[in-house]
Amino acid sequence: MDDTQLIARVRAGDSAAERALYDAHVDRVYRLAFRLAGDDTLAQDFTQETFIRAFDRLGSFRGDAAFSTWLHAITTSVVLNGLRKVKRFRQREADIDDAHGIGVTRRDAEPDLKVRLKKAVDELPEGYRTVFVMHDVEGYTHEEIGVALGVETGTSKAQLSRARAKLRVALSDFAREWVT
Amino acid sequence: MIDQHEDPRFEQWLKDAAKSYHTPLPTPREKMWARITAERQRRHVIEIRPWMRWALAAAAVLVIGIGIGRWTAHQPAAVNAPVVASADNARSDVAYQVAAQQYLARTEVLLTDFRAQSGRGQLDPQFIAAARDLLTTTRLMLDSPAANDPRLQPLLEDLELVLAQISQLPRESGRKNEMDLINQGLNQRSVLTRLRTASPAIPAGSTPVRTQGVS
Repeated sequence: MDDTQLIARVRAGDSAAERALYDAHVDRVYRLAFRLAGDDTLAQDFTQETFIRAFDRLGSFRGDAAFSTWLHAITTSVVLNGLRKVKRFRQREADIDDAHGIGVTRRDAEPDLKVRLKKAVDELPEGYRTVFVMHDVEGYTHEEIGVALGVETGTSKAQLSRARAKLRVALSDFAREWVT
Repeated sequence: MIDQHEDPRFEQWLKDAAKSYHTPLPTPREKMWARITAERQRRHVIEIRPWMRWALAAAAVLVIGIGIGRWTAHQPAAVNAPVVASADNARSDVAYQVAAQQYLARTEVLLTDFRAQSGRGQLDPQFIAAARDLLTTTRLMLDSPAANDPRLQPLLEDLELVLAQISQLPRESGRKNEMDLINQGLNQRSVLTRLRTASPAIPAGSTPVRTQGVS
């Protein structure tokens, strides 16, 4: 049974169809939430909220785009809004830590690629990071990203290009790995 | 604008390296599904329908109106008392009028809906909760200057009785008989008819409130 048929059954009150729709899409939603949040608890919270909103708003889904595209638009909205709240909360905590002189020591010369890459990606502006994660890490197309983020396809491409440029500079210590 | 110094080797290397970025754990689908269904049930129980929101808003406006009315009633006379009192009274009247109009409209909707639902012998638990909210508002109305209106007071008293009856309907058995009795009371006292004609009778003395549009 495809998404269109499942959605029709969900609208008719079929709870088994709700579960089937969830099963068909939860992996990708959770993966994206996890990639963007970097935290299992947050990823679960965001996934949960995404499906609650999706089921509540299914009546407004007109089918102009694929259900997965619509669902990922909800996912990115939930995740990005949620992360902004988390960031504000953590910033307040960091401010308190700084005030007490127990701030975390930075290690710019971290030799481990995985750690350096994580730091570099985390430090990208939100828009760049979202596009980079969706495209280069999770394999979304620019068209899908454009719909999910509500931006033009060209904007998505430009942001990815800028994200890569920043990462190239940040990871220049590892240049020999890609030039050989 | 696309960067002019794109390097396919770097892009491929970056894509490969980035697979390690926030590597997801296996999807805890059962755990999340259980949480989703539980949360949806919880939200459904406390969901406030649009007309209930209006009822709550009306109650809130009414409380504010009563507060303004009581506060202005207890203010000592000042040098320019007539002007100030006149302005305050006008504001107070407007608050009462808005609150009363909204309250009466929501009560009418609820009682009309009650008739429809009782005809089917079923009543949504949320409906009873809404009736309780309106009962509280009714009692506030009876305690306000709105009850001084000789046409409004008997109606408010009838509404208080009807809403109290609906609020106390049993959850399961014996509901149909009691609903029939409430409907009989509604008919005998022409409550809905009086409710529908009550709005124009609400306290005068202030500028009519325009709620939408521009003539």
